[in-house]
Amino acid sequence: MLPRARKVQKVPFVELYAGRLQGVVSSGSDEERVYVSYFEATSGNFYCSTNNNRPCGGLRGSPCKHLVELLNEGVLQYGPARVIAYLGLQQAEPDKVRSGVELIRFIKGGPHKVEAGMVFSRFLTYLQYVSVAPTGAPLPDMAWFVR
Amino acid sequence: MPLLDLKTVPEPVVQTAELIGRLDEVFESGFGRLSSANLQTLASLAASFAGTPLAEPLDAAIAGLGRSEFVDRHFAVIAAARAAAHGAMHDALVAQACAALSRPRPELEALADTPGQAAPPRAAVLLESVRQWLMELAIAGFANLEVGALLPFQATLDAIMAEPALVRHAALLSGFLDELLTVFPAHGKPEVPRLRWVDLWTRSMVLSLAPPAPPATREVKGELRVFATDLRQHDHVVSLVAFGALHEPGKPPRVVRTGVSAFKVDVLQGDDIAGLLADVGGKLLEAIAGGQGVKISGMLLHATGDLVWQEARAEVLPTKLKLAEEAAAVLTSPTALRPGARPEDRHPAVVEELVWLPADGYSVAAKEARELSLGGQAFPLAVERWPSSDDLLPSDLAGSKGLVALLRFDGGRWSLQPVMIDKGKPLPRMVGTGLQAARGKAKGGNLATLKERAGKLLRKKS
Repeated sequence: MLPRARKVQKVPFVELYAGRLQGVVSSGSDEERVYVSYFEATSGNFYCSTNNNRPCGGLRGSPCKHLVELLNEGVLQYGPARVIAYLGLQQAEPDKVRSGVELIRFIKGGPHKVEAGMVFSRFLTYLQYVSVAPTGAPLPDMAWFVR
Repeated sequence: MPLLDLKTVPEPVVQTAELIGRLDEVFESGFGRLSSANLQTLASLAASFAGTPLAEPLDAAIAGLGRSEFVDRHFAVIAAARAAAHGAMHDALVAQACAALSRPRPELEALADTPGQAAPPRAAVLLESVRQWLMELAIAGFANLEVGALLPFQATLDAIMAEPALVRHAALLSGFLDELLTVFPAHGKPEVPRLRWVDLWTRSMVLSLAPPAPPATREVKGELRVFATDLRQHDHVVSLVAFGALHEPGKPPRVVRTGVSAFKVDVLQGDDIAGLLADVGGKLLEAIAGGQGVKISGMLLHATGDLVWQEARAEVLPTKLKLAEEAAAVLTSPTALRPGARPEDRHPAVVEELVWLPADGYSVAAKEARELSLGGQAFPLAVERWPSSDDLLPSDLAGSKGLVALLRFDGGRWSLQPVMIDKGKPLPRMVGTGLQAARGKAKGGNLATLKERAGKLLRKKS
């Protein structure tokens, strides 16, 4: 499924969910700090803040570097076609996009605050999956899931 | 070539598939707005169950749904009927395949009920929530779903994942929800894979009718020789399935199925999967990588021929086996005791009859062939099921000395899915042979990073 392997060091979490490309971006300077960022489909609005709801200093009317990283990793994870379709960026041409940063110019909205907790709790749910015990029991329904 | 008898499909199978196809249209548009055509479809569904134990409940359910009585028991009956129709197709297809291959049909082993731990009371409440959610999907219809109706189910799913008795539910429902969220919110008309989604809906509903009872099992001792593998996965679960010959003292060797599964997230791919599976099946990975047998002492075997992999009861044996010979010996005229499905799980998609094709039994026309040539006639390959792994490549077919394949039925036709290819070298080609080596390389990979984050953040949260 993955068009290319994605490293999670910088952007541990990215997803297309509930009409948003959203995720968690590690801070470049402080190991303990993470940023919570999102782009909304249709409106093109975006936001970036720390997980304690402090707005990102780099967010001045246009997407900050965390948002750019989020978009880059989103394209790596899902491929340009799916990101473009999900965000409804009709003008963008999937075949010509090599990295997410090229999509920034199609983002029409402006900064619009959402509670970081909403995205952050998705990240915690996501991490929960790697904490569930594996099993040796038969799972016949997995016959439906092949890649 | 006997497999060529499978170029045609029994007429009742075709007709049942058509009936199910019409029923699935109702699921697409929704039981909340039944058109007269929908009502006719439901009536013909009821008619086809006349004289069966489902006839009466089905009549009552369809009448109730016609009066907009939206209660989960009506939907449970619809699910049971659809599952029963697929079960009948499964049985007819298995009968056709076994006749073509001149082998007995697979039988469930007669096992005494095993006293085991019943699911905790909490499981019943969670399954009721699942039925409620499934009912909401069916009322709305798959074409009309809204994200707002899907997202709250995540919290139920989180609770199901925390309940070990519901591991099967967790694996199925997380895959189903993933797919729904891939399509919704949709811009314009959503692309609904109708048959597939109603399948997953039906499986989920049937599985959630009652908390799972402890399965009947028996303890086995002997040696397992894995000769074929398959990898199944969605964003949140990966399953390595292994088929092998089980040699029990004093019994003829028989085919069994085992495997290990782990929950995961979408970024965990390739080498990271090895790290996940090694936690529960490190010795299985080792045996697959080395082509070695495993001494088993006291692992549990289900009536379906599924061996529950238990790391503590396995010991990898040093001798390298001749796996192609092993497969040929046990698959050429297999006993009736071999992997199968429980009645409630039967569906054409779970048909997986193992076959051995010797080198002179097939050939490949092209390097990227989509079919095998059997005695000069083309037989489809299940290319859509070919896992993306370097361990088993379509190009391995050319010049091979024999292969093990799963006989599959999908899209209204039979096909073969190669699951082991003998290249005349000591170790045959099969998925998972590279996982053992990948375990060592997983350090500093995505799994390690995410586990470290989970360790910090999830501890903070609780």
